[in-house]
Amino acid sequence: MSIDGANTKKTAPQAGVSLTQDAWRRLRRNRVAMLSLITLVLITLLAFITPLLPLQAPDFTQTSIQYAEPTASPFWLTTFELNTESISNTPTAVAKLKAEVPILETAFAAAKSKLQQAKANLTVDEPTTLQQQHDDAKAALRQKHAEIHDTIQQPYRQLGFANLGWLSRNMVQLRYAMFSNRSLNSFCGRDVLGRDLLSRLFWGARISLIVGLVATIVSLVIGVTYGAVSGYLGGWVDDAMMRLVDVMYSIPFIFVVIFLLTILGEESVADELAYWGISRITIFFFVVGAIYWLTMARVVRGQVISLKTELFIESARSLGAGRARIIAFHLLPNLFSVVLVYLTLTIPRVMLFEAFLSFLGLGVEPPDVSWGLLANEGIKVITPVKIYWWLILFPSLALGTTLLALNFFGDGLRDALDPRLRDE
Amino acid sequence: MIPFCFKRLLWMLLTLWVVFTLSFFLMRAVPGGPFDSERVLEPEIERLLKKRYNLDKSLFEQYRIELGNYARGDFGHSFKLTDYTVNEVIAQGLPISVTLGTFALVFALVLGLLAGIVSAVSRGGWADFTLMLIATTGVALPNFVIAGICIILFVFMIPIFPAAGWGNFDQLILPAFCLGAPYAAYVARIARTSMLDVLSQDHIRTARAKGVGPVRVVVVHALRGAMLPVVSFLGPAVAGILTGSLVVEQVFAIPGMGSHFVQAAIARDYTLAMGLVMLYTVLLFSMNWIVDLSYSVLDPRVKLN
Amino acid sequence: MPSNSRNLTASILVLAILAGATKALFFNTSLPPADFTFVNETEIKSLDPAIVTGHPENRIINAVFEGLTKLHPETLEPIPGLAKNWEVSDDLLTYTFHLREEARWSDGTPVTAHDIHYSMRRFLGPRTAAEYAYQAWYIKNAHNYSLGAKGLQVGDAVEVELNLPIEATNTRRGKILRGKLLSVEQEKKSSDQRVFVVEIDGKSIHYQPTDDESAAQNDPPKNTHWCRQILLDFRQVGIKVLDPLTLRITLENPTPYFLDLMGFYPLFPVNQKCVETHGSPQWAKPENIVTNGPYRVEFRRIRDRIRLRKSDTYWNRDTIQLNVIDALSVDAVTTSLNMYMTGIADWVTEAPGPTLRILRNQQPPRNDLNPSPFLSTYFYLLNTTRKPLDDIRVRRALALALDREEITSKILAAGEVPALGLVPPGITGYHPQQTTANDPEEARRLLAEAGYPEGKGFPRLDILYNTHEMHQTIAEVIRKQWQRELGISISTRNEEWATFLASQRQMQYNISRRGWIGDYADPNTFLDMFVTGSEQNSTGWNNAEYDRLIAAAGKESNEKARMEFFQQAEKILLDELPILPIYFYTSKNLVKPYVRGFYNNVQDFHPLWALWIDRDSDEPNEFMSTKGQP
Repeated sequence: MSIDGANTKKTAPQAGVSLTQDAWRRLRRNRVAMLSLITLVLITLLAFITPLLPLQAPDFTQTSIQYAEPTASPFWLTTFELNTESISNTPTAVAKLKAEVPILETAFAAAKSKLQQAKANLTVDEPTTLQQQHDDAKAALRQKHAEIHDTIQQPYRQLGFANLGWLSRNMVQLRYAMFSNRSLNSFCGRDVLGRDLLSRLFWGARISLIVGLVATIVSLVIGVTYGAVSGYLGGWVDDAMMRLVDVMYSIPFIFVVIFLLTILGEESVADELAYWGISRITIFFFVVGAIYWLTMARVVRGQVISLKTELFIESARSLGAGRARIIAFHLLPNLFSVVLVYLTLTIPRVMLFEAFLSFLGLGVEPPDVSWGLLANEGIKVITPVKIYWWLILFPSLALGTTLLALNFFGDGLRDALDPRLRDE
Repeated sequence: MIPFCFKRLLWMLLTLWVVFTLSFFLMRAVPGGPFDSERVLEPEIERLLKKRYNLDKSLFEQYRIELGNYARGDFGHSFKLTDYTVNEVIAQGLPISVTLGTFALVFALVLGLLAGIVSAVSRGGWADFTLMLIATTGVALPNFVIAGICIILFVFMIPIFPAAGWGNFDQLILPAFCLGAPYAAYVARIARTSMLDVLSQDHIRTARAKGVGPVRVVVVHALRGAMLPVVSFLGPAVAGILTGSLVVEQVFAIPGMGSHFVQAAIARDYTLAMGLVMLYTVLLFSMNWIVDLSYSVLDPRVKLN
Repeated sequence: MPSNSRNLTASILVLAILAGATKALFFNTSLPPADFTFVNETEIKSLDPAIVTGHPENRIINAVFEGLTKLHPETLEPIPGLAKNWEVSDDLLTYTFHLREEARWSDGTPVTAHDIHYSMRRFLGPRTAAEYAYQAWYIKNAHNYSLGAKGLQVGDAVEVELNLPIEATNTRRGKILRGKLLSVEQEKKSSDQRVFVVEIDGKSIHYQPTDDESAAQNDPPKNTHWCRQILLDFRQVGIKVLDPLTLRITLENPTPYFLDLMGFYPLFPVNQKCVETHGSPQWAKPENIVTNGPYRVEFRRIRDRIRLRKSDTYWNRDTIQLNVIDALSVDAVTTSLNMYMTGIADWVTEAPGPTLRILRNQQPPRNDLNPSPFLSTYFYLLNTTRKPLDDIRVRRALALALDREEITSKILAAGEVPALGLVPPGITGYHPQQTTANDPEEARRLLAEAGYPEGKGFPRLDILYNTHEMHQTIAEVIRKQWQRELGISISTRNEEWATFLASQRQMQYNISRRGWIGDYADPNTFLDMFVTGSEQNSTGWNNAEYDRLIAAAGKESNEKARMEFFQQAEKILLDELPILPIYFYTSKNLVKPYVRGFYNNVQDFHPLWALWIDRDSDEPNEFMSTKGQP
């Protein structure tokens, strides 16, 4: 059965105004949607410049002031002591360490090839010692890499930052140059370890937003490609591909995700992944992306089917354009509006899903922090004896506002792009 | 309708087979066996134990035996709850989850439709605005947060419901509400939109012009048309409620499938986890199927194929 | 379809859903309330005493089974249980137990010495794979019996268990042949197929162990016979039935805590007929199980509750006051606290840390909270087989950089004491040893000496803990402390209990959280964990001198000298530091004031049979007026 899908559009663009311009005009008239858009832009911007803001470090522990209530006096704290001297020494130290890497690499390569040779020759006794040498060489190499990493991160870590990327590190330095050791007091209170909730909210925003965005984009890429191919090719290919989607709708993916995350949490697997820089959150991106593409594929297919009978596709085909070219250059751009709407409506779902996994203890791993994790920490300390209201209120507020804004904006966008639903 | 059902059944079996195969190999890929926590064993004993779970055979042989057992509806013993078979765990957990889920769904439908209709009828008014704000908030918060807030409100501040547990009717209401709330919100939004759509259609105008009272117009004429998108939302809603019960059952200490599911996955209780996946697949499939059927009942234009 | 009939169908659909819901609901309702309800933490693994190890299991099994002795609810001294009295020989090696003639199983049959004999054999038998089997190794030859073929030497008297048909109940024993082990032949060096040559009635016969299925399907190799297993002749083990009501147990060494062990739940008797009729694990189902304790299992709902009802066959039933007890299985600490606060539960074993602190400081003081220290230590295991933890300097550095005070004063809330040793204070005659307290300066020096100045290049270690809020917070704080003092970067990792145990056992960890509660009030319960080859020693550490001291203590009958051995052993342990002691536990029970017969004691163990409810009394209950330790 096919109920969703082919919503044939009867939208002949008005003279002189393109579809996009028309939609934008309608969108601007929708006050709620515009407010949401502004909120979203603001939140994204703040999340981006978080390292520049005069906040305390998100993982800076002071158990002596655990569960401190929100306070604004004094306004400034002066605990942010960045060791600039150590930072300026970092490049030389790193260069020195990096010089040692090639030696270890060659040693490792040699041990590896020796081991492989021995294995190929099936000598019985030797592989154990060779295996040992191989493992040692590997460990030595990895340790050197870890050493380089530690040297770079050390000054920031001491302050209470999780691992920072290059850009963030520079932003933190810039922030120190601007605000020196000043940082805002805990306007949102502190948690069990005395960490500043305000700063955790800002840093959490970065991860939560990235999680939502990246996972959605992954699902988008899969979904659009799949739907476009299916819809364009039609016939039995389309039938088969859509049947597969139907079948996949009935698979309890939530289980697969939980199970995958626990498997990949197995120590030996996790170690190997960590070395390659794959954290649980990276896995999350792909797994979630791989789930949420189903709806997208259906919608896109419907669009493509209605589009492919349109004149401009016919003409492109008659001009001799290949299938791939038609899909890529003629169909996909016309899917823009559907995709955009879908994007704004999927991001909140993914963010909720991340929160759900945080609740099960399978979300982001400390010292990283996300809104879902914060909300879960807040919920856990709700007891009839005392409610640390700030620990649940602020994360919920942050998560709620963002999701609300995304929902409203998505609705507005749909209304604007689909004039059929336009208010009379 | 009968060929439709038959086709669906075939597809379900195929899906079950795919899911079975996938999860079977996934679980066998996990490092560490089921007897990890047992003390160091004699080789003979270890072989015996492995034999009990067919782990001594080749992977393919294991697969064949397991598939045969599953086809007969025998899901084997739970690895971690040693006194129980998977079937027994399901027999205990399923009625609980079904009860909870059904009530959550009823909550979602009743509250959602009511809110949606009121909203649509009083369009633009304060009732519309308030209801839609609540509905959107319901969509925008994780259900463990909703559950936490409900516990503060209705267990401690206004003590009308018990904090947790299972067995009495009053222990059902709060969890069912928390589970149904996000879907009530969705239903409200969908119902409002489709209601507005229907209310502006010709036959409603005609009915109004004929002097049919506003209540009768809404209940008799508009509601059915507005139900259609709501019903098509039931499929995802049921799926969502099944998943959502993982959280709600944990928060309220309810011994349903959700709790078993999470614990089994985390504890690597292979057999239980696998049995539950299969069960969930059947549930999801049947739900989608029922939804499709009810759709054709509500809208004669939809043909089953 | 006409509109009316469509309406009808829709209404019927809705009605069916509602009806289904209500029906399903009434299957679950109308549960009469219990006299006493408590939160028994997590779901129990089994009701089979022999194969379980946890605290939740302990509480239930102690209520439904009874051993030769039982522990006094306050002092934990062994008091008569199944045995009405006993005699101990002068050399402290022979115990003669006299059973009560009025003791009955729940099916009405008497509990006899044969039942104890059967249960002990079952408990020690390798096929049962009892984790706690080592607690019975104090009995003469029990260790060798429970090791199976590994414990045999040529010349030993052995028993050969023959195979049964496949369809036989899995708990039944095959035919037993007794003889003398002449030799062991191993087919190939790599193969684990062993052939045992046994002399039976003057004939030497070759036996090869195999399972029943292979025995039924395949012919044995030439001149060889199949058998299930070959064990030491159980008649060699120091358990003798003198008559149906008298049992004699002979020990390897004088064991001062042997009577305590007889009250320890894994060694409780099970009903042979029940076990052999239903097989394992079916016999442990509530509808099948036959018990001999003060309570019987009425029903069990997975992850919900176990309902216990007073047994009408228990010999001492007149003293049992509570008729119906519910043991709830609730994993989340916050949820259980909510249940306690709203009156669903009368006893919870634990409250979340921060909440507990507030509760303790409430004015006027609460009449349902009385934290008290008990014999239990919280520590971290270090995997000494892994780099860099194989370096004693690194282990010392980690220990010296710990600030235990921060943990006990800020994170824990029940007045826990920082631990500088493994054995908690409070064992009579024992002076606990101590490692050096917090010294970051020295820690940094040691770490630099080990090759990691300022923590640079220190491998990525992680702290493993079982999923629990408190463990997580402690791991976080320790991670911070090490980062602050040593500059090293450590991560944390959680695993669910069973997986966590597996990781520990297979040493798949770097640093792992561990808690140990004394099984009896003696340093041995803590210190014998770390002897070479112990199943609890999952650190890879071993020390010959340590092993010697613990063994010497086991043989010593002079109490003072015995304690001296233990003290020397603990000193070695704390010098080498395969473990990092963190703190000594404090009990965190919340018990309603009307619950009586609940005492604080050194094992935080509270038998259900001792409890009663008294809602009229104004004076504080036993819980508020007792302390676990001086």
